[in-house]
Amino acid sequence: MPHTPVYIICSPRPLVGKTLIARLLSEFLLLKNGAVVSFDINLKEPSLLEYLPKITETADVIDTFGKMQLMDRVIVDDGIAKVIDLGFHAFDEFFKMTEEIGFMKEAARRSVAPVILFVADTDRVSARAYPMLQQQIPASALVTIDNEFTVRGELPAAFARGRVLRIAALPVFLKTYIDRLTFSFTDYLRNEKDSSTELHQWIRKNYFSFRELELNLILQRS
Amino acid sequence: MSKPVVVVVGADKGGVGKTTVSRTLLDYFSANNVPTRAFDTESPRGTLKRFHPEITEIVDMTTTSDQMKIFDTLNSSSPSVTVIDVRAGLLSPALASLRDIGFLDAAKSGQITFAVFHILGPSIASLDEIAETANFMQGAKYFLVKNFINDTQFFQWDQATYNSYFHRIKDATELTIPKLNEMAYEQVEVASVPFLKFVANKGVDDESANYSFVLRGYVRHWLANVWSEFDRIKLTDLVGSGKVGARSSGEK
Repeated sequence: MPHTPVYIICSPRPLVGKTLIARLLSEFLLLKNGAVVSFDINLKEPSLLEYLPKITETADVIDTFGKMQLMDRVIVDDGIAKVIDLGFHAFDEFFKMTEEIGFMKEAARRSVAPVILFVADTDRVSARAYPMLQQQIPASALVTIDNEFTVRGELPAAFARGRVLRIAALPVFLKTYIDRLTFSFTDYLRNEKDSSTELHQWIRKNYFSFRELELNLILQRS
Repeated sequence: MSKPVVVVVGADKGGVGKTTVSRTLLDYFSANNVPTRAFDTESPRGTLKRFHPEITEIVDMTTTSDQMKIFDTLNSSSPSVTVIDVRAGLLSPALASLRDIGFLDAAKSGQITFAVFHILGPSIASLDEIAETANFMQGAKYFLVKNFINDTQFFQWDQATYNSYFHRIKDATELTIPKLNEMAYEQVEVASVPFLKFVANKGVDDESANYSFVLRGYVRHWLANVWSEFDRIKLTDLVGSGKVGARSSGEK
């Protein structure tokens, strides 16, 4: 029986790299599986929809209708991985809703595997949000993203206890390069002949991390 | 044979959620395996009957024949609990009728267990009913149900007003029914099924349905909160069942 992963990339803070990670993960899943559905729940940040319009749908969790449109799609075990780029403004409302509707339990019943990718930051809002997630999400489904470009130093100990996925910081000129709307990570891997470039290695390392994350999911199921 | 139990759900004011509370009670008794029958006094059409047709009968409580149908069968009928959803404006007259036929005296002497769920809306008019209804409450379990059909505070911000209503009746027990998400409520209305069936994603004839997972989640969460209130007042003990732990599956 297939298990459909749902990756929820989140943080209560803006500009911590959620959309970058959503782009990377979406492109990785598209490359690996040939299909992925991404949801952009960002109204106030750089948008995933602008980067990956062919595989991205917009959604909101402001009202019940929006929640239905998003969650009734996400809870389906159709074998197609889902990526949710959850904007910081929707963080509280989203997790309040998932707790109320019993999302994690229903997902387990329906062979859907949610993975919460919490993008850590060193501020108090993040420090308060993380225990809330720990309370709601089983440890096996909660992964802290240590985006070195955001954290710039050691990850606070509270976040480092569970599983951590590190995203190395890129030099600013490369960051600017990948931030272009027309840039595709997979296309870069395919077209760049020199595999020793920093960007090439950075993309491959992140794709490898995602592959490990998937492998962990499979191991947990078995 | 266990004592017959009569639960009256009512209010003189309309639109405060009497039938909604009656439905949660029927679902609660059903989940706790308490045999129940219901009477819907919204004659000739009955909202409660639409949701629980198998166990609900529509009656006109102002007629003697229908009063006989309800109260003369209390001992002979097999279900131990009778829930009466009293339509708007009829609570006080209904209680007066019960007094006149000697029902309240029977409750007072312990032959019958009698409970009244008085549904309160967020208005002074609704709260004014409390004093009037309280006159009939000797021998009955009186529950003041604060039904949060909107974001009301039930005047809790004004302690004098609040106390003048809610602390006036010594033996009344307060109950809180939280607000259900509007779309979830409407979806259950459209589905015309008990809340329990909606949560279990089932149609009228127990066929598999396709209700929104989000809305089912909201109903499940809300129903769990309502039932925890019923657990708090030990409703199953009141009706002589006491099987809170033995709920049938599907409600959580």
